[in-house]
Amino acid sequence: MAEDIRIGVFVCDCGSNIAGYLDCPDIAEYAKTLSNVVFVKENLYTCSEAGINEIKDAIKEEKLNRVVVASCSPRTHEPLFRESCAEAGLNPYLFEMVNIRDQCSWVHMQERQDGNQKAMDLIRMGVAKAALLQPQEPIQSEMDPKALVIGGGISGMTSALVLANRGYQVFLVEKSKELGGLLRNLHKLAPANVDAQELLAKQAEAVKNHENISLLTSTTIKEIQGYIGHYNVTVSTNGTEDNFGVGVIIIATGAKVFRPEGLYNYDGKGVITQFELEGLFRANKFKAKNVVMIQCVGARDEERKYCSRICCMTAIKNAIAIKEKDPKANVHILYRDIQAYGTENEALFQRSKQLGVRYIKYDQEKPPEVRKDGVKVYHHLLGRELELPQDLVVLSTPLIAGEDNEELSKLLRVTLDENKFFLEAHVKLKPLDFATDGVYLCGNAHYPATIREAVSQALGAASRASIPLAKGMMTVEPIVSILADEDACRGCGLCVALCPYGALEIVKTEKGRKVSVIPVACKGCGVCAATCYQHALSINSYTDQQVEEQIRAFLSGS
Amino acid sequence: MIAEAFVNGADGVMVIGCHFGDCHYITGNFQGKIKVGLAERVLTYVGLNPKRVAFDQCSSAEGERFVKLVTNFNQGVRELGPLGNGDRLQLPELKEKLPIAKTALAKEKLRWVVGKFTVFASEGNKYGEVFTEHEMWRTLDTIVMDEVATHEILRELRQEPLAVTELAKRLKLPPPQVLRYVLALQRRELVDLDGVKGTSPLYKAA
Repeated sequence: MAEDIRIGVFVCDCGSNIAGYLDCPDIAEYAKTLSNVVFVKENLYTCSEAGINEIKDAIKEEKLNRVVVASCSPRTHEPLFRESCAEAGLNPYLFEMVNIRDQCSWVHMQERQDGNQKAMDLIRMGVAKAALLQPQEPIQSEMDPKALVIGGGISGMTSALVLANRGYQVFLVEKSKELGGLLRNLHKLAPANVDAQELLAKQAEAVKNHENISLLTSTTIKEIQGYIGHYNVTVSTNGTEDNFGVGVIIIATGAKVFRPEGLYNYDGKGVITQFELEGLFRANKFKAKNVVMIQCVGARDEERKYCSRICCMTAIKNAIAIKEKDPKANVHILYRDIQAYGTENEALFQRSKQLGVRYIKYDQEKPPEVRKDGVKVYHHLLGRELELPQDLVVLSTPLIAGEDNEELSKLLRVTLDENKFFLEAHVKLKPLDFATDGVYLCGNAHYPATIREAVSQALGAASRASIPLAKGMMTVEPIVSILADEDACRGCGLCVALCPYGALEIVKTEKGRKVSVIPVACKGCGVCAATCYQHALSINSYTDQQVEEQIRAFLSGS
Repeated sequence: MIAEAFVNGADGVMVIGCHFGDCHYITGNFQGKIKVGLAERVLTYVGLNPKRVAFDQCSSAEGERFVKLVTNFNQGVRELGPLGNGDRLQLPELKEKLPIAKTALAKEKLRWVVGKFTVFASEGNKYGEVFTEHEMWRTLDTIVMDEVATHEILRELRQEPLAVTELAKRLKLPPPQVLRYVLALQRRELVDLDGVKGTSPLYKAA
């Protein structure tokens, strides 16, 4: 390499976070002894304005062409230090960060000497890698400013409307003939007692009349190819295929109601589900006097371990509706646990008790027994069995994942959880995103949700999807896979098969079949580079050579 | 990379990934587990004690588990002592064999099989035959054996032309088996006939 490598190392005290447990001056002294290091500085806080200025000055005055900061977590501070390098005229990808706080001083507070040694090892490794770093340029790609929303229930309609109102063209695909999904069968919605059909009619009307929404009912998704900004979607409407492009996709496919066949003498007449009870309400056909509701039917058992979460509130809401219509009616709710989360739900729960709804806890081991005109249940506190009169038994059943989920998850290369619901990228940090960029999630497709939760998620997913749409151009971190050695590539396609993001494709070139990286779709996970036996693929800033040099640097100290 | 660490003098290598289902890269930890498993097998085959390689899983919220895993692994390696102690082969013989493991791990045969591992174990091969993990590993074991021997033969023949009997002695393998490898290499034009010494043909790397 012709270039003269000049590395600057900045050792951060982080106040007392690092300097309180490690001997930073000794560590800085040690850094001076490493090859290619021409400048070392210990800072009280490297991230402070003074620290940043010292980096910038040193880049200019000492002609540094690589910078190593030994401080905290790159998660929080790498962007700042990279930016500082860029401001001083150094390519930001010639920066390397070493974590001597979270993974060193904080965990070795009682072991000063060993901690010092570890910090020195880490810095030696960082410096070794820094010497091999190459400048990178951010990758830019255009965005097709259109969206696909899959599912025309309340979630899908809501997010489609938000995006359409923002001026983006939206394709709303619904597999049945009508909009509405599960909402079509509901009566009143808790906690505000909103009429479900009025809400549905209002939303459906808005969707149908919106100039930016192309509504495709009786339509299924046949194929989706591409990546964020450039998805190519093939749909089939009653057998007629159509094709269009979008930049982002929202999954709002909803869920199904579990039918409790064979459980508690379910027959759809005298023993019905909450879902069917809503139907009786709507048709004004409800006239039972002694209602027994059984919770957790087909849920939280061996087959479906999860809690469907919404059934408690559905039961409470419907129990209140019965009592309000006919205060003399008897309503018993047989439950295992009650999920009445949040102040409004708790208030409804209390109100139902005031109205005289009776709650009896049952044991999973001793489930209630539905008989011709009564329900037998073991009462814990009384220590004996009770016989409750019934002329209607209502079973609260969970929502289960839609049957299309697996197919769709494969088309989009997004993940499902163990119950076949769609799995978000991160439960707290990215609850509406997928690991694959440009695909978002809301409503029952994710997990059973109340209408209110589904709407909140739909608004959230739409605003997440708006971010890349509004930016127009996408700038992506260049730490991605590259075909470093085109001649070596044999176009075998093993990497394409293994890429979890669909970021690789085989293309025909003058030199024959070669792999091609779609940088916008690549996350830099490295599976392809670790798979390529021709070693043609490499990951920017994490090349085999760089990592091996780090390993050698580590082992050279022992 | 794991073999590289041993080549450079590491006494143990541990890889820790997230729990299944928690991987930031979706299925990266499945791939990782299989790859580390393969590296462990190849390295064991060339004489390393398998206790020197470990794959485990731990979340970022499981500090105690992390410490326990690392401490246990470290203790295990310390009990063995530096490389060459408690291993099937001793130094310097082991040191000579480690680069062969690295080559075998970097080449197409093992990378194809390990790459297709998850596919074969979940969706099955072109004929719809789905393999259990156990069957896959058993298959891999024979491939590992063949690959290591093949690369070792190539290394020896690059240095000097040799007869099969001499190769077999150096590889500590039965001569008929070595002959099979040599003939296979000859068919792939990786090995050439060099001449005849006494009654046996001499081979060299092409």
